[in-house]
Amino acid sequence: MRAQAEPGSRPAYDEMLDGEGRPRPGLRTVVEVLESLGPEGLAERARLRDAYLDRQGITFSLSGRERPLPLDLVPRVVGAEEWDRVDAGIRQRIKALELFLTDVYGPGEVLRDGIVPRRLVTSSSHYHRAAFGLVPPNGVRIAVAGIDLIRDEQGEFRVLEDNLRSPSGVSYVLENRRTLAHVLPEVFAGQQVRSVAEYPERLLDALRAAAPSDVSDPTVAVLTPGVHNSAHFEHAFLARSMGAELVEGRDLFCRDDRLWMRTVRGARPIHVVYRRIDDEYLDPVHFHPESLLGVPGLLNAARAGNVAIANAVGNGVADDKAVYTYVPDMIEYYLGERPLLPNVETYDLGDPDQRSFVLERLDRMVVKPVDGSGGYGLTIGTTATDAQLAVVADNIRADPRDWIAQPIVTLSTCPTVIGEHSLESRHVDLRPFAVNDGDDVYVLPGGLTRVALPEGSLVVNSSQGGGSKDTWVLDEGDRGAGAEGRPGLPRVTRVRRSAVARQSAPATADDRLRQQEGQQQQSGPDPARGGPSC
Amino acid sequence: MLSRLAEAFYWIGRYLERAEATARLLAEHYHLTVEDRSVPEDVAAAVVLDALSLPHDVISSPTELVRALLGDVANPSTVIGAVGAARENARSVRDALPGDVFEALNGAHLTLTRGLTAAASPGASMFRVLERLMIVNGAIEWTMTRDEGHYFLSLGRALERVDMTARLLDVRHDLVWPDTGPVATLRSAAALSAFLRTGETLTGDTVREFLVLDPTFPRTLLHSARAAEEAVRGLQVQGGVDDAALVREVGLMRARLEFAGGTHDPSVIDQLCHDTQVSGVATAAAVADSYFRQAGTIVWSH
Repeated sequence: MRAQAEPGSRPAYDEMLDGEGRPRPGLRTVVEVLESLGPEGLAERARLRDAYLDRQGITFSLSGRERPLPLDLVPRVVGAEEWDRVDAGIRQRIKALELFLTDVYGPGEVLRDGIVPRRLVTSSSHYHRAAFGLVPPNGVRIAVAGIDLIRDEQGEFRVLEDNLRSPSGVSYVLENRRTLAHVLPEVFAGQQVRSVAEYPERLLDALRAAAPSDVSDPTVAVLTPGVHNSAHFEHAFLARSMGAELVEGRDLFCRDDRLWMRTVRGARPIHVVYRRIDDEYLDPVHFHPESLLGVPGLLNAARAGNVAIANAVGNGVADDKAVYTYVPDMIEYYLGERPLLPNVETYDLGDPDQRSFVLERLDRMVVKPVDGSGGYGLTIGTTATDAQLAVVADNIRADPRDWIAQPIVTLSTCPTVIGEHSLESRHVDLRPFAVNDGDDVYVLPGGLTRVALPEGSLVVNSSQGGGSKDTWVLDEGDRGAGAEGRPGLPRVTRVRRSAVARQSAPATADDRLRQQEGQQQQSGPDPARGGPSC
Repeated sequence: MLSRLAEAFYWIGRYLERAEATARLLAEHYHLTVEDRSVPEDVAAAVVLDALSLPHDVISSPTELVRALLGDVANPSTVIGAVGAARENARSVRDALPGDVFEALNGAHLTLTRGLTAAASPGASMFRVLERLMIVNGAIEWTMTRDEGHYFLSLGRALERVDMTARLLDVRHDLVWPDTGPVATLRSAAALSAFLRTGETLTGDTVREFLVLDPTFPRTLLHSARAAEEAVRGLQVQGGVDDAALVREVGLMRARLEFAGGTHDPSVIDQLCHDTQVSGVATAAAVADSYFRQAGTIVWSH
C-alpha cells in the first residue's frame, strides 16, 4: 500500500488496516488469500471475473454504451456492531422522511412550526402540486430508499445524501456477491457473511403490501423507460427476481381510473407499479406533455385509489440536497429522537451569512447542484482552477437555491486492485438499500460500495467511471468451517439416502468382444503401421 | 432400427441428461456452500452425494466435492463419466447420427477429459460444461430426423430427467439451509425464474410441489412423464412389438401426477415424488423388454 497525498486536511480512515497496521476483523482471510494468490493468480481471477460478467451481461450503460460495472476483487467488510448502528440509523431516517413527505403533501405542520423553511419546500422543483393530497393506499411513499454514506476521518459513518426517487444499484449488490463467490471463493472461507439474497422477496412483499386494500392478489409490474436506459439491466433483474412483469409505457393504458396492460388475452389490470421513470415523464396529463415513457391518466388512477405508485410522486422534495440539511431536525421533530447517523456539515447558500462564509472559502469546499445526481456538476475546491471557482461563485450568487456547499470530507479508503495486479488504497462510499413495507423498514445488509478508481479522487459515481466492491456484513462472531451451525439452526444429523439405485447401460463390450473387434484386419492406411507405400 | 442402435440412442439421451443435471446441481451447490457457511462442509457434501447414490469418503471442502462429482470416465454417474458414456454410445451409432451431434458431444468429452476443471474456479468450469452440453442438445434439436432414433433418445432423456429431478428433491436443501435452500433447489433445476412467475410464495414445500406438478416447466416430474409417454406413443405408431406393459407403466407414471388433484399436502407430494421415481425405473425395464431384449430372441453364449 502506498501512502498518498490526501485532498482533505486529515488522512483518510483505512478500512483494511487498524492503527497498528493489522488487518481489521474479518479481513485477515481476505488479506491472506490475496497474498497467496500473488500477481499471477490475481490477474487470472480478474480474467475469470471479466469473462463471467461479460457472459452474464451484467452491465450498465454509459453514454449509450453497455459496459460491465467494474467489480473489484477485494471485498469491503463491515463489522456486525458497526452495521447494527448503520441499520438503526437508516431505519430512523426513513421513518422521519416518510412523516415529512406525508406532512408536506398534506397538513404542512413542519412548515407551520418553522422546522423546515417553507421557501425551501415550495421552491423545490420536485414539489409537485399533482401529488398534493394524494395518499398512497398503505401510506408508504418510500418503498425503496438508497441512503449514501461515507466514513469520515474518524471512521464515523455519515449520511451524504438521500435517494428517495429511483435509487439504483441494488442489482449489482446481488450480482457482485454471486460473482465474487464464483471467481474468488477462497475469501469466503471461515466466516459467515450476511446474505443479501432475500432482497427481491422483501421488495415484492413491500410492493404487494402497497396495493389497494380491496385487491386480494395484486399484480405488480416494474415500469422501465426501456432498454436504452442506463439502469435497464437492474429493472429487468428486479422484475425477473420478483416474478413481476417488466413493462414499458407503451404496454400500459388507463381506463376508468384504472391501470391496464395490453396482453395477448386482452387488457389485464395492474395494481402496483414500481416505476423507474422520473416524475416528469410519468404521466403526460400532469407533467411533461411530450413524454412517451409514461402513461396518460396514471396519476388520476392513483388518486382514485386503484393503483399504487412506488416510489410515490413528489418524493424529490425530501431528497433535495438543500432539504437534506434539515433531516436531523425532522428526526427530532417527528420522532423525538437524536439522529443516529449524522449528516455531513452543509451550508445553506440561501442564508446570506452562510453564503458569504462559503464564498470566502470556496477553495476548501465541495459545491454541488441541489438536484444533481451521478456526480454531475460538482466542484471540488482543492482541485479546481481559479477560473472554475470564479464561475462557481457567480453561479451561487445568481441562484443560491440551486447550490449547496460542504467542507471537503476525506472518504475512507479500501485496498483495490489497480492495473493488472497491484493493490492500492482507493476512496469508497456506501449506498445501503432499504425497503419499507409499511410495518417496518428492512435494510439490506451491506449495500453498494462504490470506488473512485483514479488515485486520490473523491468522486465515486458509476457515471464518472467509478467501480464497485462486494460489501460484507459479518455475522456475529467469526465461525470456523465445520463448527456447529448458527444458534437456532436445526443441526443436520441424518441424511436421506436415495431409495432408488442408479441405472446404467449394460456393459456391452466385454473384454473378449473388444479384443476381437480390434483384431480384425483392415487394409488401407493405418497410422499405427505407417501409411501405404506408394 | 436395430435393437442395439435403439439402445444406444436411449442411453445417449439418458447420459446427456444425467451429465447436465449433475453439473447444474453441482454448480449451484458450490455457490451455496461458498456463500452460506451455516452448514458443516462434510454434511453439505453428504446430502448431495447421498441423493445421487454416490459414495462419500471424507469430503472436507467444496472443492473436493466438485472433484468427486466431476469424477472420472469410469463412473457413469459423475459428470465426466456420463459424458464419456454418452460419447461411447454415440460412437457405436455414428453412422445414424448427424455429424453436428457427434462433433458437439465429442467436443464436450474432450473439454472435460483434458482437465479444464483444474481452473481456479470450480463454479466457472461447471458453467463451461453446461454450455458445451447445451450445444449438444441444440445440435440434437436442430439436425436430428424425427425418427425412431430420436424417439429413443427423447425417451431416455425424459426418464433420466424424472430420476434426476427426484434426486434433486432428495437433497432437501430446504431442511439443511432453511434460508437459502429453496432458491438453491430451483436454481439447480434452472427453474428460478419459472417458479417466480407463478407468484407462489417461496418455501421449501411450494418449490417441491412446483418441481413435481407444474405442467409447463420442462424439468418437472409431470412434464417429464408426459414427454416420456409421448415418446412411447411415437414408437408405438411404428408398430411391431408387444409394448402393452410399457404403455401401461408410462401411462401410470404420468396419470398418477396428472390427476393428483391439486394437492398441497407436502407429505403427499413427497410420496408422489418417490412413486414417480420408482415408476421411472419400471418404465425403463419395460423399454428394455419391449425393444432391446425381447423375449424369444436367440442369444449365442458359451
